[in-house]
Amino acid sequence: MVIVKRKELSFAEQLYIPEILRGLSITFRKMFEPKVTRQYPEEALIKTDVTRGQPRLVVNEDNSIACVSCGLCEAACPAYAITIDGGETEREIEREPKRFDIDMLRCILCGFCEEACPKDAIYMSDELELADYSREALIYDMDKLKRPKKALQDRIDYVNRINDRWQTPSST
Amino acid sequence: MVKITVNGQQIEADPKKPLIHACHTHDVDVPMYCYHPGLSPVGSCRICQVEVKQGEAPGRVMVACRTYPAEGMVVDTESPKAHETRRECLEFLLKNHPLDCPICDKAGECDLQDFTYAEGQAAGRTHEPRRPLEKRKSLGDTIVLDEERCILCSRCVRFFEEIPKQAQLTVSDLGSRSVISTFMDKPLKGKYQGNIADLCPVGALTLTKFRFQARVWNLTKMASTCGECSRGCSTTVEVLRGSDVKRIRPRENLDVNGWWICDIGRFAFSHINAPNRLEGSLVREVPGLSIARNEDALCAVRDMMMRHKEVLFLVSPWLTVEEGQKLLDYSKRFGSKPIFVSPEHNSEKDTVLHTGDPCPNRRGLTELGIEGLPQKAAIERMQKSKCIVLLGERIVELIGASAVEALPHATSVAVFDCHALDLPQVQACVGIANSAERTGTWVNIDGVKGPIAAVKPTPRNVRALERHLDDLVKLSPSTESMGARAR
Ligand code: SF4
Ligand code: SF4
Ligand code: SF4
Ligand code: FES
Repeated sequence: MVIVKRKELSFAEQLYIPEILRGLSITFRKMFEPKVTRQYPEEALIKTDVTRGQPRLVVNEDNSIACVSCGLCEAACPAYAITIDGGETEREIEREPKRFDIDMLRCILCGFCEEACPKDAIYMSDELELADYSREALIYDMDKLKRPKKALQDRIDYVNRINDRWQTPSST
Repeated sequence: MVKITVNGQQIEADPKKPLIHACHTHDVDVPMYCYHPGLSPVGSCRICQVEVKQGEAPGRVMVACRTYPAEGMVVDTESPKAHETRRECLEFLLKNHPLDCPICDKAGECDLQDFTYAEGQAAGRTHEPRRPLEKRKSLGDTIVLDEERCILCSRCVRFFEEIPKQAQLTVSDLGSRSVISTFMDKPLKGKYQGNIADLCPVGALTLTKFRFQARVWNLTKMASTCGECSRGCSTTVEVLRGSDVKRIRPRENLDVNGWWICDIGRFAFSHINAPNRLEGSLVREVPGLSIARNEDALCAVRDMMMRHKEVLFLVSPWLTVEEGQKLLDYSKRFGSKPIFVSPEHNSEKDTVLHTGDPCPNRRGLTELGIEGLPQKAAIERMQKSKCIVLLGERIVELIGASAVEALPHATSVAVFDCHALDLPQVQACVGIANSAERTGTWVNIDGVKGPIAAVKPTPRNVRALERHLDDLVKLSPSTESMGARAR
């Protein structure tokens, strides 16, 4: 057993008023220093190059989805947030997802899916907001996840830049 | 038997079987594409090369699938020379291979992918573009061929020549233009086509019914037995996300089916995945059948049986041995013996596997002492009885709902099946698990026991027939008191 001794208060501290005044003086001083807090959500978050928002799917210029439902992001996802069902298409690349769900409540924004994707089809967008009235609504399906390539271009460029630093020429 | 040395380990090998067989039975890994234990060896892919020393001569690199063990042979599968040769062969195999694993159904269970990952170089050395060929050539209703991925191992060609003994595929054209094709581009026929998709060591042959639907590493695989004929082929049932049966594939069992199954068993999931299941139980109340708890339904069945002196137990041939035994014990209380409905042999009988007899557990039930009655005779028996209990999956389908409908309205019928039967004669319906949802044993035509596995959960409130029988026993008065009642 440990007995913790209370600190003996001095007479000035016991009076209470001087301590309040000391606290208030700090408050007044800080009022004239630059502000570091932001009025979120009225004021948007500052996004930088490395900001890793929620994953989104790339839609090509010809309106087709870039994903081929290979399932590698699903396998890489440590939070089991991704569910994919594949299917056949008439396009030259024969395979595409018929269902692609990301449970945004499970997603931990780690970016493993982005790293795993062999088709450059999933990127961490700069979208960060996530609020809704039900859990079901936060399981995003393909329609909610699709983004035109242009909208994700900043991130794509950033990832390419990072990859160039350490990648060796690949076989394909 | 001869004595050989493999990687320093002394083993006994059968001189009539290729060296690769001896290696594999002793857990020595030798890669292979064209060799298949169920087919004749041809030695065309050259990936199985190992270093072999005989006598004083220096070691030579030879293909393990076309070399036969001889006394005193010394084999090294991991020597630098063997590795180097295999790597060179792999480079040739990959020269024109698209390596489009992200869209390939084989990825995850592909021998070429595994071996490339283990041994292949990270980068190719060719600068020429790869040979473009047709990527989705239909070979009939079951199989799609991707010519680019094919490594011309000819397993599929040999399969049709050697197993159904009816050649349907061939290698056409020459050199790097060689492709697999059917004769005169006719679609494949017969009921063993599905096997070539399993056989193909790469993703060149894919099943139309499975193509792109799931990644193989997401499938849960369980050993089971096919219930489509009395051969009872050993199968592996593969389920996606716990409830959706995606594939049924043969499981190696030399006593029963070897490495193959027929397409009827392979695509037999319409019954397993059937919609509109009876979830829970139904009991007759004025004016119709209404939902009831399982216990209440079982009580209703018990009361119905107790009201009548004689009870006819008609069961389906899909009943497992365990269920048959439980029912046999229970039916003794009523002094009756269950009978199974034995449908007529169908025209699917062939010389490979299918027996034409659709009862997977005919032998098991017969050995228990449950006799089979053809459908017609069974219906006649039904017309003579006042109280009928129908048990087992597909039993209603087998007798036909119309046969029950034709019974006099005074007849009492209880049904234990996967689907409800809403007819005035039916007093109670109890939902039961189907053959993908319960465990048990079927005995095939040759007396080999086959396990059936519960590969997916039952729907809500549905239980296996065995559990219902257990409860019926608990709910029924003991045998002695029933004897007293009869007196
Ligand atoms: S890794 Fe890329 S291509 Fe593969 S399923 Fe995920 S998003 Fe699609
Ligand atoms: S056959 Fe194998 S190696 Fe070739 S693309 Fe398919 S998975 Fe990849
Ligand atoms: S299609 Fe498959 S099984 Fe047939 S030769 Fe080509 S790789 Fe072999
Ligand atoms: S497996 Fe031996 S040559 Fe193909």
